[in-house]
Amino acid sequence: MSSRFRNSFAACAMLALLCSCGRERRQESGKTDVPPIVKSASPDTVFLGSSPPPVDRRAAAFEGNADAIAKGQQLFLWMNCVGCHGRGGGGMGPALMDDQWRYGGRIDQIASTIAEGRPNGMPSWRAKLTDEQIWQLAAYVRTLSGQVRKDAVGARTDTMSNTPPQTQIPPEPVKPADSARQ
Amino acid sequence: MIRRGAFLAGAAAVLSGCNRYQTSLGGEAAESANFLRLFWTFMAVCTLMYVLLVGGMLIALWRSRKAREALVVENGRHHASAPILRPLLIGWAALILVGLSALAIASFVTDRSNAANASHPKLVVTVTANQWWWDVQYSLQGTTTALRTANELHLPVGVPAEVILESNDVIHSLWIPNLAGKQDLIPGRVNDLQLWPKKTGLYRGQCAEFCGLQHAHMALDVTVESKTDFARWLTAQKRPAFAPQGPVETAGYRYVTSRACASCHTVSGTQAGGTVGPDLTHFASRRSIAAGTRPMDRGNLTAWVADPQGLKPGTNMPKIPMRRDEVRAVVAYLERLK
Amino acid sequence: MRRIVAGIIAVAAIVLIVAAILWTQRVNRSDTTTRYAAAGGAKAVPAAAASPADDGNWTMPGKDYASTRFSALNQINPANVAKLGVAFTFSTGTTEGFEAPPLVVGDTMYVVAPWPNNVFALDLTRPGAPLKWEYRPKPAAAAKGVACCGPVNRGAFYSDGKLFLNLLDGHTVAVDAATGNEVWRTKVADIQKGETITMAPLVAEGKVLVGNSGGEMGVRGRLTALDAGSGKIAWTGYTTGPDKDVLIGPGYRPPYPMDAGKDLGVTTWPGETWKTGGGSVWGWLSYDPQLRLVYYGTSNPGPWNPEQRPGDNKFTSGVFARDIGTGQVRWFYQSTPHDLYDHDDINEIVLVDWPAKNGQRIPALIRPDRNGFFYVQDRRNGRLLSVAPYSFVNAYKGVDMKSGRLIPAPAMEPAKGRVVRNICPAAPGAKDWNPSAFSPQTGLMYIPHINLCMDMGVQNANYIPGTPFVGADVKMYAGPGGNRGVFTAWDPVAQRKVFEIKEDLPLWSGALATAGGVVFYGTMDGWFKAIDARNGKLLWQFKTASGIIGQPISYRGPDGRQYIAIASGVGGWAGAVVTMDLDPRDPTSALGFTNAVKDLKKRIAAGGMVYVFALPQ
Repeated sequence: MSSRFRNSFAACAMLALLCSCGRERRQESGKTDVPPIVKSASPDTVFLGSSPPPVDRRAAAFEGNADAIAKGQQLFLWMNCVGCHGRGGGGMGPALMDDQWRYGGRIDQIASTIAEGRPNGMPSWRAKLTDEQIWQLAAYVRTLSGQVRKDAVGARTDTMSNTPPQTQIPPEPVKPADSARQ
Repeated sequence: MIRRGAFLAGAAAVLSGCNRYQTSLGGEAAESANFLRLFWTFMAVCTLMYVLLVGGMLIALWRSRKAREALVVENGRHHASAPILRPLLIGWAALILVGLSALAIASFVTDRSNAANASHPKLVVTVTANQWWWDVQYSLQGTTTALRTANELHLPVGVPAEVILESNDVIHSLWIPNLAGKQDLIPGRVNDLQLWPKKTGLYRGQCAEFCGLQHAHMALDVTVESKTDFARWLTAQKRPAFAPQGPVETAGYRYVTSRACASCHTVSGTQAGGTVGPDLTHFASRRSIAAGTRPMDRGNLTAWVADPQGLKPGTNMPKIPMRRDEVRAVVAYLERLK
Repeated sequence: MRRIVAGIIAVAAIVLIVAAILWTQRVNRSDTTTRYAAAGGAKAVPAAAASPADDGNWTMPGKDYASTRFSALNQINPANVAKLGVAFTFSTGTTEGFEAPPLVVGDTMYVVAPWPNNVFALDLTRPGAPLKWEYRPKPAAAAKGVACCGPVNRGAFYSDGKLFLNLLDGHTVAVDAATGNEVWRTKVADIQKGETITMAPLVAEGKVLVGNSGGEMGVRGRLTALDAGSGKIAWTGYTTGPDKDVLIGPGYRPPYPMDAGKDLGVTTWPGETWKTGGGSVWGWLSYDPQLRLVYYGTSNPGPWNPEQRPGDNKFTSGVFARDIGTGQVRWFYQSTPHDLYDHDDINEIVLVDWPAKNGQRIPALIRPDRNGFFYVQDRRNGRLLSVAPYSFVNAYKGVDMKSGRLIPAPAMEPAKGRVVRNICPAAPGAKDWNPSAFSPQTGLMYIPHINLCMDMGVQNANYIPGTPFVGADVKMYAGPGGNRGVFTAWDPVAQRKVFEIKEDLPLWSGALATAGGVVFYGTMDGWFKAIDARNGKLLWQFKTASGIIGQPISYRGPDGRQYIAIASGVGGWAGAVVTMDLDPRDPTSALGFTNAVKDLKKRIAAGGMVYVFALPQ
């Protein structure tokens, strides 16, 4: 291998490594720009001619951020989300790893669902978690159905559950649930 | 010579910086005393050998300088040195043998002694490490009564205790130098540590295995007290939390038990039953805040409640947007939790 | 001469062989002193006072206070059951698990649907049984989010012109059976704390007995007695806490020392964990009018993670006998002390008069427990008469008849950092809520149950009111043999299996025994089956629209004919994968049940419907 080739290979590798740096920017609580959780981001609905409001650009800082996703994953366990939604397959609550979204599958819609609760049993977490924690949770929930970049999600968990690794989950198209199940 | 003097002076300065709260030279428990004895034995033996070796070397140097002047080499042979060298070498080898055996025996005896101490614990405490705080649970013999506290360990003097070590996230290590050596806390494994404190006092333990951003702020306040004091502490800890007094504390009580605080913390006797954060039932009776980050007082407590990330960046306690009167109320209520 | 010698030798040999057989038999019998031979022909019979003569009605889910689920009607028999056909059907328009049995009083059938708990009264006198009235209680939808195992309802209770039922959101209601108008409504459970009600109430002596659900939500279990006339709360007996809350007084006589002591509901728990310790009362109640005692079991302790609650965790996973007038506890027996695997004790309790060795009849209760053992107990004092496993059990080593205590298998204990594999029975037990039937004709208990084992790992559970309080990862799968369901005919006197039918899917439906010698049950893929009560031979089957997890009943119609009714509508814990549209890629979903019924979604869809069958006229 010529030394020039080796050098350029090393440079490319370095560049590639640097590219993925953004995925793990640490978010210190209280110092991140947290978008407000908008109530109207709730279910997919008819907007009477106009289009649905776009996702707040600040929400993107949570989505695809390994730090936010990891914290969301921890909260998913700590706040007992796992008791109803399992490791994504559901139980008392609906599955989160499939392609059906009763109240919308965008990150702001998920955050709104967590914050406000939903009439069929989803409790409201607005008073029990900070907005930042809710965005982190929403970011993690998006990973369950493979909606975020693969280099930001954890490849494994520490539990006995043998769900497919999140890096292996094919991205599900986001669809509304059929109305009968709402 | 000057350099050596400087080194000694520096070492003395460093050692004088050690306080009695956190030193491995204290020997305040059976284990640390045993190890301290072993340490001094090693020190004595090694020092003796070192002195002999250096002395021998100096003599050899001095002798060789003299020999170069005095000795005559006849037929390519050294005559004079041989009769002294042989017994010296044999003696030296014997000394090494005896010294090493003595050290081996001493360390064996120490280990046996520690193992014997460990065989009959009278008190079992489970310490679970978290990023970045210590969860402490007492299981009292003969009952299922369990006590949960955090970042503090109370031990009665003269009572052998077994500390069960677990971890909820990453590898930590518990080190209370005054009482015992380090022991790792590994997620998914159960380790243990034996403590048989012999002297009352306040000591400081800390995490001794790098465990993340706030590794340095993960201390454990250890109190070794008389049996009666320990019994009194235990009785106080068994009580449910004090009820709030007055409107400000009541407002704080309402906030703590119904809002985000209750998602992680327990205040026994209320509906706050979270187990992922430290138990707050007798929070105000502790010596420090946030695993030894700050001493317990109103100013620090207010700063901690208002912005935990300012005091301990990266901690899992989030900054909760609170009004100033809410902070005051929560602090007032927390101070009631003696 | 030689012939005579040969004859003598042959006779001697025969005598020796017969003597040897008799002797070995005697040895066998003395080996199993706790078992009683059924060979004597003595059968258990239902407690007479709790099981009056059949009037052709079906007024309570258990058929009678003795909970026999036995109909004395005998028009349908093994010879003609094959001709059984649909008489009429009725759709409730629900898609949740349909566990409730229809009730029949006179010429009206009452159907209680799962959430939203609508009640339909059908006129049996007219062809096709048209709707007489409908009652819509409108319970809060949020209750569905805290109902651990589907928003089901296990039935109503008819008494004295009123229909009593529990709503999922924690209310008990009384409805005028003639008009469908609500008479009273009382709140007895709080969904904000994770409490729901799914059980069928029991009404006796003017009291409506109601228990809460939520053993997976950190609730504090209790049984509440309401005044049947006014709906006012008469007494509440908690499962955990100090004696005054549990209603333990001077009349408390526990059968074994392990259940004796002061304030055991506090001292067998660490700290204040008894306040969130479960022990809910979501299963079946039986009542002895002679002793005036109500019998029921309590649920698992919470959380599932046993490391968070060292101790016996009284009075969870055990059986209470309470005085119906005051609620005072007469005796308590803890079947599963310090439960490790969600082995509730809420299964049906059948009151029988049990033949003792000396020919006397002992007032007893018999119950197939979730932990895999079949218990026979003296119902006056709770003493064990005999215990035997009716299913494959490796999670326990047996029951110590002297101390009454279940013997645990330490190797199977889940602990932090250690996943325990192949625990049998799994979390739903050898048998879950779905009730057995007892036939006095055959003396057999017909037990529809499951054959599942599980892997279990534990982690810290965080208590937040209104959220699950479990702390366990569970994954279930078929037990030995590979069949997930079993229908067992069990002789409670000899404590032995008479026959068993292996079913592919878990059995989640109740059973019905009839005097015609036919036994009915349903499967989760929708087959409603009639079998011969003596040998289990399949006599007839019918495919219903959805999976069956309901309870079959039999009644005499206004036209004098015998009818059989069953609700179809898959759901509940076992069917959540269908009703909640769960993702089977996650083996731990539905608290681990999904892994055992991965194929169910491909075999059946949801939908609530009542089927009524009769012989052709």
